[in-house]
Amino acid sequence: MKTRLAKYYPLIPVYGAYLVMFFIGKNMSGMWQLMAMLAFYCALGQAFNIFLGMTGYVDFGYVAFLGVGTYGMALGITRLAHVEGIGLSVIVIGLALAVLMATLLSIAVGAVALRLRGAYFAIATIGVNEGFRYLIEGAKIWNGSEGMIFNAQMNQIFGREVASAISTFWADVLVLIIAAAAAFVTLVYMRSKIGYALTALREDEDAAKVMGINVTKYKIIAFITSAVFAALLGAAAWALKTPYVFPPEVFEIHYTVEAIIIVLLGGAGTLLGPVVGGLIYGVSKYWLAIIIPGFQLLIFAPIIILIIVLFPEGIVGMLRKKLRSRPEGAFIL
Amino acid sequence: MFWEQFSGNLIQGLALGAIYGMATMGLSLIFGVLKIVNVGHGAFIMVGAFVALWLFNALGVIPILAIPVALVIGLALGFLFYYTVLRRLVHAPELASLLATFSIGVLLEETVKLIFGSEFRGYNWAVGKIDLGVTVLPVSKLYACVGSALIAVLLYLWFKKTRAGTAMRSVVEDSEGASVCGVNVGGVYAQSFALGISLTVASGVLLTMFIPVGINPYMGGPYTLKAFVIAVLGGLASPYGAFFGGLVFGLIENGSYTLFALIPGVEPFALTRFFSFVMLLVILLIRPTGLLRAK
Repeated sequence: MKTRLAKYYPLIPVYGAYLVMFFIGKNMSGMWQLMAMLAFYCALGQAFNIFLGMTGYVDFGYVAFLGVGTYGMALGITRLAHVEGIGLSVIVIGLALAVLMATLLSIAVGAVALRLRGAYFAIATIGVNEGFRYLIEGAKIWNGSEGMIFNAQMNQIFGREVASAISTFWADVLVLIIAAAAAFVTLVYMRSKIGYALTALREDEDAAKVMGINVTKYKIIAFITSAVFAALLGAAAWALKTPYVFPPEVFEIHYTVEAIIIVLLGGAGTLLGPVVGGLIYGVSKYWLAIIIPGFQLLIFAPIIILIIVLFPEGIVGMLRKKLRSRPEGAFIL
Repeated sequence: MFWEQFSGNLIQGLALGAIYGMATMGLSLIFGVLKIVNVGHGAFIMVGAFVALWLFNALGVIPILAIPVALVIGLALGFLFYYTVLRRLVHAPELASLLATFSIGVLLEETVKLIFGSEFRGYNWAVGKIDLGVTVLPVSKLYACVGSALIAVLLYLWFKKTRAGTAMRSVVEDSEGASVCGVNVGGVYAQSFALGISLTVASGVLLTMFIPVGINPYMGGPYTLKAFVIAVLGGLASPYGAFFGGLVFGLIENGSYTLFALIPGVEPFALTRFFSFVMLLVILLIRPTGLLRAK
């Protein structure tokens, strides 16, 4: 019994961190917004890590999946608002739409872009993100560049009070749940054939291929999984929390870069890394915005350069190396 | 009427394409030699634009004379960032160099914002216009085209005729082989990065001769994305391929804009951008060596 559960020990610090964040936010006045932001960054890192950390491929257009997720929820709410008594099931429909759209987009993108490697893959994914944004704006799909604002529909479906509770509390709880689910899936992948195949592919793709590993299959699995979590996150943290969607905002490349920073800071391909990276990134961003408003990035950019040059393995990556032979090492992955 | 407008737009597109080409040569040179994609490319174009703006507005120096100043500033920035950051990342995974060059771009943007503020600026260098019948071309744009074509030719000659240029070409072909033949590969990396940045900063000056308004610290982003498309058109690793890619891109951009504007109920500007990214993906898939390299 003990050995079967030991597999899941590395989840303890991750879930512990999420519970602490939840209780700090709930019980200390004025902390909820900060905790919600931190939860978003942790979840973003956790979701992106499944692809970026495990395969080593840099998807520079990752934010597109958050974007389609936001659109999925927005479409669910705006198109079904007139249905009598739809109530909370509209959220389930919205999440399902987000997952469906992200799956379709990730299959399409994956089929095209995953044939490319390295820098070519990164450029192709930037192209997909920008191309998708300009297609929505140019062909006026889903209201084009005017976007969608669905405050009124939220109030119509849930009533004013429930709608406000959803956007100020339940959306953030959903983000934490998504983060926890993404961490669980990461662990399951790491401990299964998928994880071993992806490790082999990350170290040397050609060698992995020669060894008979179906690299394309495992890359696609990681890509779709990561995209689905991104879409859920977009639906919860963007659409439900702030009931509007504009193409230039949800396809903004800076979110992709934030996600990369979080994963790299914590340690790419580790389970605990995104939590550590998300917390450090979120807290320092919040703190820098208070002490030097408007010039956070001026301080942040050189710090990131320093981290890349000096600690390419990330914090958890280093920690894991140090603790490998010690009993505490069982909790850190 | 339509054809007049269409051909007028194509002439403008060709002229703008020369600037685009020049603005992408640096990106291709750096990728060709170091295999690093400079995601902060647009920020260096922005630096060039500010060099031209500041020299013109504060000191009254005409933009043509700002080009050598920009080349020198670019060389200095290039060597600085190479020796402090990129030297350690040449053989690291892409993730590191992509994020590092992005951060360098952000650092430049924020530094310029600290010095000049973030409002949109411009300058007015009135040197007359030429009427071509179907369209009117300001003389400053003409200077910019001639300037960028001249720099492209000089770069070509430098690559073919000088020792340093030959060394760079050998590293593009095979860095290990070059190293065995006695080429100082580390030195070539540094020179190529500095030269690439230098060309990019200079292209910022030429760009302001073409579009002298809208200069602000964040102006570079769209040019980074355009440069990616152009570089891929030209084969990503070839600086002169990039120059011709720029000409092709200018023609396609302006031509497709004119055509998309005929479709009712769409935003032609956004569709033009969409079209360029579709082009990027198609070329990456079917012809990753670029349109112009038949070999």
